[in-house]
Amino acid sequence: MSDMSLRVKFALILVLALVTTLIALPREDKVFKLFGLKNVTMQVKQGLDLQGGAQLVFQADLSKVPASKRDTSMQQLVTVMQKRANPGGTSEVVVQRQGSDRIIISLPGEKDIAAAIARIGKTGNLVFLEINPTTGAETPTGITGNDVESATADYDPQTSQPIVRLQLKSGDATKRFGEVTTRINQNSTRLVTLLDQDVVFGPATVSTPILDGTAQLQGNFTIQTAKDTADLINAGALPVSVTLVEQRTVGPTLGKESVSKSFVAGVIGLTIVALFMLLYYRLAGVLAVGALFIYTTTTITLYKLSAFLPGYTIVLTLAGIAGFILSIGMAVDANILIFERLKEELRAGKSFVAATEAAFDRAWTSIRDSNVSTLITCTILYMSSGSTPIIRGFAVTLGLGVLVSLFTAVVVTRTFLRLTIRQAWGRNPKWYGVKTEDVE
Amino acid sequence: MNIIGRRKIWYSISFLMIVPGLISLFVYGLNLGIDFRSGQMSTVAGDPNAAVIRTVASDAGFKDVQIVVAGNQTQIRFTDPTPQAQHEANHEKFKTDLASKGIEELSFDSVGPTVSKDIAQSAIISLILVSLAIVAYIAFAFRNAPQPVSPLSFGVVAIAALLHDALFVLGVFSILGHFFGVEIDALFVTAILTVIGFSVHDTIVVFDRIRENLRREKGTFEHIVNDSILETFARSVNTSLTVLFTLLALLLFGGQSIHYFVLALLIGIASGTYSSIFNASPLLVTWHNFKLNRKVKESKKPAKG
Repeated sequence: MSDMSLRVKFALILVLALVTTLIALPREDKVFKLFGLKNVTMQVKQGLDLQGGAQLVFQADLSKVPASKRDTSMQQLVTVMQKRANPGGTSEVVVQRQGSDRIIISLPGEKDIAAAIARIGKTGNLVFLEINPTTGAETPTGITGNDVESATADYDPQTSQPIVRLQLKSGDATKRFGEVTTRINQNSTRLVTLLDQDVVFGPATVSTPILDGTAQLQGNFTIQTAKDTADLINAGALPVSVTLVEQRTVGPTLGKESVSKSFVAGVIGLTIVALFMLLYYRLAGVLAVGALFIYTTTTITLYKLSAFLPGYTIVLTLAGIAGFILSIGMAVDANILIFERLKEELRAGKSFVAATEAAFDRAWTSIRDSNVSTLITCTILYMSSGSTPIIRGFAVTLGLGVLVSLFTAVVVTRTFLRLTIRQAWGRNPKWYGVKTEDVE
Repeated sequence: MNIIGRRKIWYSISFLMIVPGLISLFVYGLNLGIDFRSGQMSTVAGDPNAAVIRTVASDAGFKDVQIVVAGNQTQIRFTDPTPQAQHEANHEKFKTDLASKGIEELSFDSVGPTVSKDIAQSAIISLILVSLAIVAYIAFAFRNAPQPVSPLSFGVVAIAALLHDALFVLGVFSILGHFFGVEIDALFVTAILTVIGFSVHDTIVVFDRIRENLRREKGTFEHIVNDSILETFARSVNTSLTVLFTLLALLLFGGQSIHYFVLALLIGIASGTYSSIFNASPLLVTWHNFKLNRKVKESKKPAKG
């Protein structure tokens, strides 16, 4: 390779190192400010086991739904659960389908898990029934939660009890409700309203027909349960009933502890590996540590950048951190393969230039084959990890680590080494762990 | 140094390392966690009084209560006999009762039977898929390997080394499970798969050198394999050392939640280094000699007809 293009490559690597270091730093927003970019923050997205929160899996009961409509039911389920899990639309709640009949919901930072489960998992089936007081017969009126335009929590002006006010949809729904209430009024029957089999209104007589589509529910509410009920009705009923089949909750203290401990473990692990490389491979070790540094900053930069790609965001879990730290070991492996080979070629009496090129050529097949087998494992882990995000996180960070390490070990280290051996001081076998008397 | 010549010693060491675990696997099996057998697990801070925990758990109506101290945390495993809809309310009561006794719940996991069946199924499927994919890849990567070894023998021997490592880890965890209550969870499967990947990674590097030397050197197969092992020895040991250093740092300083996951990786990778140097390549020689012997015997048979 010509001197010129080697220098260009080296310059590009330096630029990459500088840019990724700035982004990878924990306070990257301060750095961006220097360049006039205000309020640009980048975060490595943390999984539930690191930031605390809950992961819930609900199983839908599709036994009563015909096969052709199951897909639609599941889609509706996701929409309604999304509204319930995240009423304001502000938090980072994720609601996804899992397999054919499950919904997986992650609630980062959620503190009251029990309330969240109740809020999300209730069917929310609102029905209005007409009751004959003498026979006790119940007849559906045809008015359901689907006819409700909006529900709001309020206080009853007379009793000051918390209630839920309903406004039915204008037009047909309001007209039908008017007919029903007129009939109940004339027949002196009773109106009862049930929410998931719980009585929330009545049974009571209707003194005057309601023609404006308003109704109210009084179910022994506190103001909080009244608000929750209003949210439930607003989000709409679930198309099918669901049961909670899996729950994983991590408290915030455990998460914080895990982050700080993993950070310490990562720094210690990296330091030991760097020291080992320096002591064993001397000058080549310095180059490897440089490559390892670029490897680390590039990987963290990719984690941070992935947050801007919805759907491809890398969520760092505890197992993911283990995958990252493990991939450091694998990144170094490629360098070890090359340097061991370099030593052999130097001992065989080759010139530095010839030995370097031979080392990279010969080590390449080993590096390629061994990394492909790790990538195969990662791909299969990723694809079969549907029900366990923790495994997916591990597969992603390890796989990404292997790919980045291929780049740093081969491109970065090779450029560094080629430049070094052009200098007189860089051509001393001793600096590569080869004794002069061993050279043939 | 003659590694191949002493292969019977290396095989014996492997045998001695694996047999206790195998016996434990057959006698005690694996201590399956809630990921595989369903149930609930509450992890609390510190090492609180077990009698207090048991009272609180039985007040909440929980059955099969098991208390295992793991580092600076304590795992309380139980099953809730009530219908699934009431589980959360029961757990809420349990958690508040614990809190009133000054015991802080750090995390809570609950896995239903349908989910645990799925996790177990996907674990087995991924184990099989990973093994098959790796044999296929090795057979493909070594398709041009010069005689006298067939590409398939590289693949099969790599699988033998991989089984060695997987069985060793499984055996150790069977013993840990029986005597120390350590459970196998979904993460453990990940550890096994990673160990498998790493084991093959390590084995391939030696095989790669064997293939290269077969093209360049003259001499007996045994001699070439021995040279290849020696030439890659420093690399194998150094790579494993760097990985083991990082894992050791995680084991000693990392979070408690991944303690056994890291331990599984650590012993699996140590075993993987051993098997790639002392088992995989010597096995290639054993296989080769076995085939040679058979050919010799066949040629000695009087020709019929």
